Amino acid sequence: MRNRLKIVLIFILCVFIGSSVIVLSKTVKGLHVFVSSKVLEDYRITIEGERKDMENLIKQIEEAKAQLEELETFEAENEDISQELEAKLFQDLEFYKLAAGFVDAVGPGVEVIVDDGTRDIGFGEDPNDILVHDMDLFLIINELKAAGAEVISVNGQRIVDTSAISCSGYTVRINGQFYARPFIIRAIGDGSRMAASLIGPGGYGNYLKDWGLVFKVSIRDDIRIPAYTEDRAPKYMTIATDDRTVKEGENN
Amino acid sequence: MQNKSGIPIIFALALLIGLIISIQLNTSDAHDQGGLIPVAQVDALEQQLKEVRREKEAILAEYLELEQRLKEIEEKNLSDDAFIQSAMKELERYRMAAGVLDVKGPGVIITVDDPIPTEENPGDGYSTIMVRYDLLLALVNKLKDAGAEAISINGQRIIAKTEISLAGDNVNINTVPTAPPYTIKAIGNPDTLEGALTIRYGIVENMRNNYGLQVSIAKQEEIEIQRYNGVLRFLYAKPIENSEEEDAQ
Repeated sequence: MRNRLKIVLIFILCVFIGSSVIVLSKTVKGLHVFVSSKVLEDYRITIEGERKDMENLIKQIEEAKAQLEELETFEAENEDISQELEAKLFQDLEFYKLAAGFVDAVGPGVEVIVDDGTRDIGFGEDPNDILVHDMDLFLIINELKAAGAEVISVNGQRIVDTSAISCSGYTVRINGQFYARPFIIRAIGDGSRMAASLIGPGGYGNYLKDWGLVFKVSIRDDIRIPAYTEDRAPKYMTIATDDRTVKEGENN
Repeated sequence: MQNKSGIPIIFALALLIGLIISIQLNTSDAHDQGGLIPVAQVDALEQQLKEVRREKEAILAEYLELEQRLKEIEEKNLSDDAFIQSAMKELERYRMAAGVLDVKGPGVIITVDDPIPTEENPGDGYSTIMVRYDLLLALVNKLKDAGAEAISINGQRIIAKTEISLAGDNVNINTVPTAPPYTIKAIGNPDTLEGALTIRYGIVENMRNNYGLQVSIAKQEEIEIQRYNGVLRFLYAKPIENSEEEDAQ
C-alpha cells in the first residue's frame, strides 16, 4: 500500500516537471540569437533619431509651403512678384552670409580664457599635465555649441564648419594659422547657459581647473567675432541637389 | 504515518522549486550583459527602422519638389540683370559654405562600430564609442585638419555650430540622437584624408588598439553628403558689416 502511494506521487511529480518544461519552451517565441541588449538600444536610438530628423524636415516643408502659396497667389493675380523675390534674395543673402561666417557678428555671450597652469609640477610629473592641448580647446568649443552657441571664435579665428584645431609643438593651429597661449574663446549665445555648462558640476572648465590650468569665464553683452578670412573656395565638392532629384525620380 | 506526512511536503517543495526555476529561466533572457533575444524582436525593430527611413525618404522627396517649384518661380520672375544674377551666385556660395546644400565629390567613408562582444569580454552593456564620443570629435577634427570640405556623421551634416554631445544615454549630433555603427563621410582629397587618419599611432590605430573599436576606411571616387536638416536660427548673433570692407567695396 505504501509503495503504491509512493509510485503515484512520483508519477505526479514527473508529470509536473514534464509539463513545466513544455510550458517553458512554449513561452519562448521562435528562434533565438545572441544579441547584446545594446544592439536593441542602438536600434531604438536610431529610430528616435530618424523621427527627430523627420520632424525637422516637416518644419521646413511647412515653411516652404507657406512661401510657395503666397507667391503662387500673387502670381495668379498677375501681380509683379519680382520685388518680393528680390527682397527675399537679399534677406537670404544676409542670413547665410552670417551662417557661413563671411561677416562679423555681434551679440551677447561669453569670453573664456584658457592658459597653461602656473603651479609647479610635481617630481616626475609630465609637464603636459598643466599645458593646454588642442583636445581641451575643441572639447570646450563642443560644450559651448551644445549649450547653444551661435558663433564662436578662438584667438580671433572664426570657427566655421571646416575649422580644425590641432597641436603642433608649442603652438596650436586654428584655420591654418598658428597661435600660442593664452587662448581666448568667444561665443555668442545665451551667456548664462554657456557659462553654466562649462563651470557647472561636471563641466569641462572645472576639470581643467582641477589639473591646475587657468580657466576663466566671463559673461558679456558685447561679444564681437570677426568674419572668416582664410581662403575656403571648395576644390573637391560640388552641389549635388539637382542630381539627387533626378536620381530619386528614377528610383520611384 | 510519519513517513506519509513527509511526502506532501517534499511534493510541495518540488513544485515550488520547479516554478522558481522556470520563472528564473524566463526572466533572465536578456538583460545588462545581453543574452538570447528572440529573432522576432530584432526583426521588428529593423522593420520599424526601415519604415521610418522610407517615411523620411518620402518627406524628403516632397521637400525637394517644393524647393524645385520655388526655384522655378524665382527663375521666372527675377530679372536677369547682372546685379541680381551675381547676388544669386553669391547666395549659392554662402549656402554651400553654411552646409544647407547637398554636395558631392571624392572623399572617404569611415565606419566605426563597437567591439564585437566575446565570451572573455562581453562588454558592460554600454557602447564604447558612445561613452568615448570625444574620439568621434577627434576624428572629425583630424578630417578637417586634412582638408575635408564637407563631413557628415550618420547623415548629420557637420556645420559651424554642430555639437557632438552625450545627452543621457544618447550621443546627440545636431540635437538628433545617434547610435553606432557610425558612418562618417568626408569630401576632400581621398589620399590625404586616409593618410591623415591611418598614420602610425594616429587616431584610427588608437581607436582600434586601445578601445577595440572596429574601424574601416574606404576611399571613394564620389560620395554624396546631405545638407543640414535642422532649422538654422540666430537669436543672439547679429551680422555687422566691417567698415573697412564697406570702404573697399
